[in-house]
Amino acid sequence: MLLGATMATLAIPRSRAASSRPFRIAFANADETPGVHLEGLGFTGYDVRRGFELAARTLPVEMIYLDNGGDADRAMANAEEAVRQKTDLLIEFNPETRVNPEIARTLKGAGIPVIAIGYKVGDAPVYAADNQEAGAIAGEALGDFARQAWPDQAVIAAIVGDTGDPGDAVAARLQGIVQGLHRSHPDLIPAMLDTGGQPSRAEALVSRLLTAQPGRKLLIAALEDPTALAAKIGVELTRRLNDAAIVSQGLDRSVHGGASERKEIDPTNRGSLLLGSVAYFMDRYGYDVLPIALRMLQGLTVPARTVTSHILVSARNVFMEYPPYDMN
Amino acid sequence: MKLRHVAVAFALSAFLISGTAWAQSDCKTLVQASPFGPDDEVGATNRITPAVTKAAAAEIQTGVSIPLAYNLVDGVPLFGTRFTKTMLTTASLVPGAEYGKNKLTYMEDTYLSQSHVGTHIDGMGHIGIKDCYYNQTPMGKYVTQNYLKKLGIENMKSFATRGVIIDAVQVFKDAGKLKKNAACKGDCIDGGTVITEDDLQAGLKMYNVTLREGDAVFIHTGWGDLFRQFPAQNAVYNGSEPGLSKSAGAWLAAQKVVLVAVDNFAVEVIPSEDKDEAFPVHVILLPNNGIHIIENARTDLIAAEAASSKRATFFLSMTVPKAVGLTGTFVNLEAIR
Repeated sequence: MLLGATMATLAIPRSRAASSRPFRIAFANADETPGVHLEGLGFTGYDVRRGFELAARTLPVEMIYLDNGGDADRAMANAEEAVRQKTDLLIEFNPETRVNPEIARTLKGAGIPVIAIGYKVGDAPVYAADNQEAGAIAGEALGDFARQAWPDQAVIAAIVGDTGDPGDAVAARLQGIVQGLHRSHPDLIPAMLDTGGQPSRAEALVSRLLTAQPGRKLLIAALEDPTALAAKIGVELTRRLNDAAIVSQGLDRSVHGGASERKEIDPTNRGSLLLGSVAYFMDRYGYDVLPIALRMLQGLTVPARTVTSHILVSARNVFMEYPPYDMN
Repeated sequence: MKLRHVAVAFALSAFLISGTAWAQSDCKTLVQASPFGPDDEVGATNRITPAVTKAAAAEIQTGVSIPLAYNLVDGVPLFGTRFTKTMLTTASLVPGAEYGKNKLTYMEDTYLSQSHVGTHIDGMGHIGIKDCYYNQTPMGKYVTQNYLKKLGIENMKSFATRGVIIDAVQVFKDAGKLKKNAACKGDCIDGGTVITEDDLQAGLKMYNVTLREGDAVFIHTGWGDLFRQFPAQNAVYNGSEPGLSKSAGAWLAAQKVVLVAVDNFAVEVIPSEDKDEAFPVHVILLPNNGIHIIENARTDLIAAEAASSKRATFFLSMTVPKAVGLTGTFVNLEAIR
């Protein structure tokens, strides 16, 4: 990624370099309201914005940050603001999709290119999570674990989280988890434990399921990390530590920390029943999206759709993916 | 197989794998060789020769000492679970427990502290790539439960050398690019801001100084403003920091300095320029060049003094305890003018 960024920097047209004016790029974030999580995961708008701020440090860009606040009208007003400020490009992250066609028309009229994050904005290139693939990684990891640890025992599975979320992202994630599980356990049909978006409810839901299923092993796919942590408590409360394994989605800061600030996924905690979490890297979107933006601004072709490279992060690789900065 | 057994097996295999990795790392490919010979454990303080110290002594013009360290006290920013505590032994103060006819009493302390706390120096045993440390040392062979058998801080030589303050805050102000952090009471460069070699050179030019071999470099970012507000801004202080870029670190190493001190917790910019790298400037300075790092240095006073006197150089006064096998220690240091 860094190489890509460097190449983009070097390839700036001579006229632009001569004027030494950085590209003005506006980023309209989905929702920076404190406490609001995005995309059914544990990441906040601040996490996403900070990723852009960090990625922009070494690139020839001047960033303008706008907050859509989870509101369609505000997103529209922000798009108009991007036009008013004569930006070179707009990065639009707007789950309130009803205004996205109008945003596309407005920006096209002003001759400003757009990159859409997660949700289509006209025919703009899209950068998005691959929810189905991420789900499949989790499902496959759980299945592989069961095959290795419990080869001859009865295994059941559950998906715990906001399973009733009507969004496409969660639906794709659910589908992926089932697909991944079926690679090793084709007949396994996971139970849906709906927390209604309240992670703490996972504790009771998992406890109840385990109590009702004595003598069976339980594979738990959590839809986001806080839910996974609550589910783990549910397993602990029923004293079934040897009968359950959890894989989560997101890899937000609630499950991984640093050398001193230890969290559940930690190199020194390899025996956790939370086997790992599938990384979405929402706090690093900027590192992927800004190089695409620079390529567009140089007139280079970019893919119509670019997806996050999801991987399963466990105690074995967590510090490779997120080097701890508290061990100075 | 029970889950616990699987977990134990995983942990055991991880241990065995890491043990094998220690034995197999080719340190010659991972870490640069020391310019001071294949057996050197000292590092850059080899450069502080009698001639360097004598030349540095010329910096003492008024004899005024300016603190470059903070008090180590409860509440200062510490990372995560790091701790520093003292316990006072006062037993002989109890009436009747005095000693001798002259009623002598005494008190002493027990330090229950990690070494990398407060204003502290990083030794050669602090940072490596895999198990390879300074001078291509395969440290797996030299660690015990309690201390290092090589590269401990007892190997350091004198730090009696010339110090140079680089006021990065003023450089950024002059360049019109100072973006403050709102939590700073005074001027500070915001967390995450990269300080380049161009910025360092601008700071040297400001006082018409050229670095010379054996110098100790101090960089004022203003981030220490948050340290001084402890504990109110500890989370902000530890959350990010302005600091050196990789290329700036490499440039300083090329100047053959002996230490780099900054008023932040890790010397380099945090988060790193490359999100996938852990402390790359540490790697450049410590294992690859044997250059010491001082973190949480106090630089505001010497920066102010330099600004008023238009002189950025001083005689550095610092000694390091001969505590065998440590990776670092908290220190006191002063600029003598």
